[in-house]
Amino acid sequence: MSRSLVGQHISAEFNQELADITNRIMLMGGLVEQQVKDALESLHEENRQLAAVVVTTDYKINALEVAIDEECMQIIARRQPAASDLRLVMTVIKVITDLERIGDEAEGIGQVALALAARGDSAQIDLVSMGRHVRQMVRNSLDAFARTDVDLALEVAREEEVVDREYESVVRQLITYMMEDPRTISSTIELMWAARSLERIADHARNIAEYIIFLVKGRDVRHLSLEQMEKAARAVR
Amino acid sequence: MQTTPTTNDEAPLRFKTWVASGDPWIWITGSGVTISLIAVVGLLLLMAIRGMGHFWPSDVMRTSYQDANGTTTVIVGELVESEEVTAARVRDSGYQPADGKTFLRRDLIKIGNRDAFSQDFRWLLVDRMGPVSYPKELLVLERREWGNAYGALVAVKENGQLVASGNSAWAELQRRVERTHSLFTEIHGIEKSEIGAINYAIERLRLKERGLERTGQLTAVAALEIKEDRAKYQADYSDVQKRLGVLYAEIRRDSITLRISDGSEREISLAKVVRVYRPNDMGVVAKIRFYCEKLWEFVSDEPRESNTEGGIFPAIFGTVLMVVVMSILVMPLGVMAAVYLREYAKQGLLTRLVRIAVNNLAGVPSVVYGVFGLGFFVYFMGGRIDQLFFSEALPAPTFGTPGLLWSSVVLALLTLPVVIVSTEEGLTRIPRSIREGSLALGATQAETLWRVVLPMAAPGIMTGLILSVARAAGEVAPLMMVGVVKLAPSLPLDSNFPFLHLDRKFMHMGFHIYDVGFQSPNVEAARPLVYATALLLVVVVIVLNIAAIHMRNRLRERYRGAE
Amino acid sequence: MTASLNRRPPELAALVPQSSKRDLNQADICLEVQNLDLYYGDKQALRGVNLRIARHQVTAFIGPSGCGKSTLLRCFNRMNDLVDGVRVDGRILMNGSDINARGVDVAALRRRVGMVFQKPNPLPKSIYENVAYGLRLQGINSRRLLDEVVERSLRGAALWDEVKDRLNDSALGLSGGQQQRLVIARAIAIEPEVLLLDEPASALDPISTLKIEELIYELKGNYTILIVTHNMQQAARVSDYTAFMYLGEMVEYDDTNTLFTNPAKQQTEDYVTGRYG
Repeated sequence: MSRSLVGQHISAEFNQELADITNRIMLMGGLVEQQVKDALESLHEENRQLAAVVVTTDYKINALEVAIDEECMQIIARRQPAASDLRLVMTVIKVITDLERIGDEAEGIGQVALALAARGDSAQIDLVSMGRHVRQMVRNSLDAFARTDVDLALEVAREEEVVDREYESVVRQLITYMMEDPRTISSTIELMWAARSLERIADHARNIAEYIIFLVKGRDVRHLSLEQMEKAARAVR
Repeated sequence: MQTTPTTNDEAPLRFKTWVASGDPWIWITGSGVTISLIAVVGLLLLMAIRGMGHFWPSDVMRTSYQDANGTTTVIVGELVESEEVTAARVRDSGYQPADGKTFLRRDLIKIGNRDAFSQDFRWLLVDRMGPVSYPKELLVLERREWGNAYGALVAVKENGQLVASGNSAWAELQRRVERTHSLFTEIHGIEKSEIGAINYAIERLRLKERGLERTGQLTAVAALEIKEDRAKYQADYSDVQKRLGVLYAEIRRDSITLRISDGSEREISLAKVVRVYRPNDMGVVAKIRFYCEKLWEFVSDEPRESNTEGGIFPAIFGTVLMVVVMSILVMPLGVMAAVYLREYAKQGLLTRLVRIAVNNLAGVPSVVYGVFGLGFFVYFMGGRIDQLFFSEALPAPTFGTPGLLWSSVVLALLTLPVVIVSTEEGLTRIPRSIREGSLALGATQAETLWRVVLPMAAPGIMTGLILSVARAAGEVAPLMMVGVVKLAPSLPLDSNFPFLHLDRKFMHMGFHIYDVGFQSPNVEAARPLVYATALLLVVVVIVLNIAAIHMRNRLRERYRGAE
Repeated sequence: MTASLNRRPPELAALVPQSSKRDLNQADICLEVQNLDLYYGDKQALRGVNLRIARHQVTAFIGPSGCGKSTLLRCFNRMNDLVDGVRVDGRILMNGSDINARGVDVAALRRRVGMVFQKPNPLPKSIYENVAYGLRLQGINSRRLLDEVVERSLRGAALWDEVKDRLNDSALGLSGGQQQRLVIARAIAIEPEVLLLDEPASALDPISTLKIEELIYELKGNYTILIVTHNMQQAARVSDYTAFMYLGEMVEYDDTNTLFTNPAKQQTEDYVTGRYG
């Protein structure tokens, strides 16, 4: 889809409003991405200061969610958008929910980093690979949104299954650790939480990717298998 | 903008700004309205004053007058008008002005007694008049012939025998005038209705006989029947004549002796008198009563003395009847034509040409219609109709002569464009959506036309009627050729079958004005009547218009929201 | 865990169908337009229109001014016959028979296909006579029957309660919305199969518009309704199917939900989102 999301409406004000919410979504996405990155860094580097920043920055994301929500409601009330506009607004409403959740999960990882640092434990297990994957997914989903790129969205959906497998192996490793050395149980559980958060972030990113396919193709691909989703996304309209 | 201009610049500048402000246009356009209003009001006022003043009983004056020869005569009469003339004009007419005055005043006096003086108006120089007095006993007699008589009552006589004289004579006279008047009404009624009916019946009998004769169907039986009928009518006629003879003897019984201004005494039969009155002896109330009587006589009575006296009822009646017949003729024709043009005809070059032709028809001078009507309707069509249906009356024409029908037809033709144009206008104004609404319910075009379109176009049709009535009522020129006469012997509507006689000639107010004003032997006497008749014509037209406008407005009200 | 979520459980599929899309192939077809071309003189106003209208459903026609949607609507009761120089090619089948065929009684057709116009156009008669007009045209003059039909029609048009006390007043005294409902009552008095509504609410205020829309919803149980409207939201609200027309062509015809959320054609998309220009 080569056309921009906003397009050339007769009403310039409507254009402006739609441009506004997409811009704000990108802003919110950027914030969320930064939060995920910072949270992962604070966890790996045992950086208490950065973790504290992550924990205290989440309110910005929440505020943006509320603001965009309100703007979408106003557009629905005043413009009665149809077709792609309607799908855009609906997508935005859903995307911000997922973004806000990602923000929450990032905050959760920040909390884990803080807790681990307070205990003086270092992470015995490497979440770097999974974290990089998840960050990539978040970035890709946002890029897919910005460029209305279905292929990239499909890529995100595929990545999610990879992350799922990584999560399973991380969990297995952590359980092994706990069985080997019961003293590490509490810090390992903290890590488990962080891994779980990462897995959730991947889920949310996949959700966003699904919304983007809906936005572009007009087909609801939620709760479908990857093959079905790909088929729907490739369907020529 | 420059400030503090010199005084020389200021005035033109101010004028310029005043022009630019547009105020002059308001004044110019406003003055246009004012002039029109003044013209209309002035016209009506002039007619009202000149015409309606005529019926007011003016005082009768008595004075002495020294004429050019130096002889002095007594003058009795009504002052009609007074004017300033130059001395030169007076000199030309044989008088020597007394001194070096350049302007002299002269009065027009109606002296009446045309039988004695052979003229009933005189111009008198005020300078040469003696003292003016208004004696109460001066009498005015309105007569059926010779105009008014002015003088003093000497005696009242019955069959030549003196009945009353001196002071008691006036009261006696009034009683006897009353009696004569009722006798006259009776005689007039008999002559008009009974004798008229008998004559009409005899004429029809004659025509029937001739008709049978021509077709060879006049059998002995039929002839006998006709003869019997005729004898019956003759008997009726002589019976009526006998009754009339008695009445005539009665009405001729009384007479009066009147001393007129030159001192001679004249014997005047009361049978010839319409009314007597002593204006100098009348109070305001009596004068108002008299005025109303005269006015009523004017609108309800027949004309006398070659239209210069009496009323103009036949003219009013003729005008209205002609307009009504014309409306009946023109409305269906015009409406049908407009409906075809607007509803059925394919709009294109042809309909445009037809419309142009119709509009130009409205611009043809009316006298052309008169000539056409005379040539085509009266002589050609009327002649054919006579040959086909009224051959028994030939060579006397029935429809082959000017008459009410042809006048109405010609005026219908004259006003047809107006009706067509305004009906079309009315049809155009009906919104398409209303027609479509009807058609969408399964109505055919004809059903839509009858149930919806024509009722809604009624205001437009009425407008056409109003315009055509206004035009027709005032039209004179064509009527002079196709049916109007100076004096019609009978109204075109009476109690004899078939009641409406379209073949009869009729009187018309417009023509009446022309006739009285320009063809009258006694112009001075007739002039007020010209004004009065003109005013009445305007009133009739206004009444006809108001009636139609009222109808139109009610229709408009009904359909207002639909447009 | 996530893998199971990826598949829609069968019981859910039964509850919520994959799509609420209506399928015309299974619908009862009332009107069918086949390759319709219409010319005003040399100008072609409709180009190869193909369309199938489902019975007892509301079909809306949207499109910019001059796109031919009103012209198409007026083909169904042959209102275009009234315009000089109109030529129609192609067929319009009503219950399988061609309405443009030789020998078709146009007045009878119009009794079966009622029409309501953009501007309320009550006849300059009383309310009662307006509703009775169509019946009187058919020669029905029985007072009892007329009373019955007038009441039923006015009730059907949701106007009875407002006018029952002044049936003999002029219809022109009603408000615009009442007039429009009166016109609908007048149309349904003769019990047509199809109702054509040509921008029925464009001259009305929003509340009257909603009443008309509610009326359309109620009427659709008994009539096949075709509505032309400039108001896309109105088309979205009242119709089951929507056709988008542009320059005399049928660009897209689909069920209303699809057309307004996910149109197939770019032109439709531009029009419904207000990008047309």
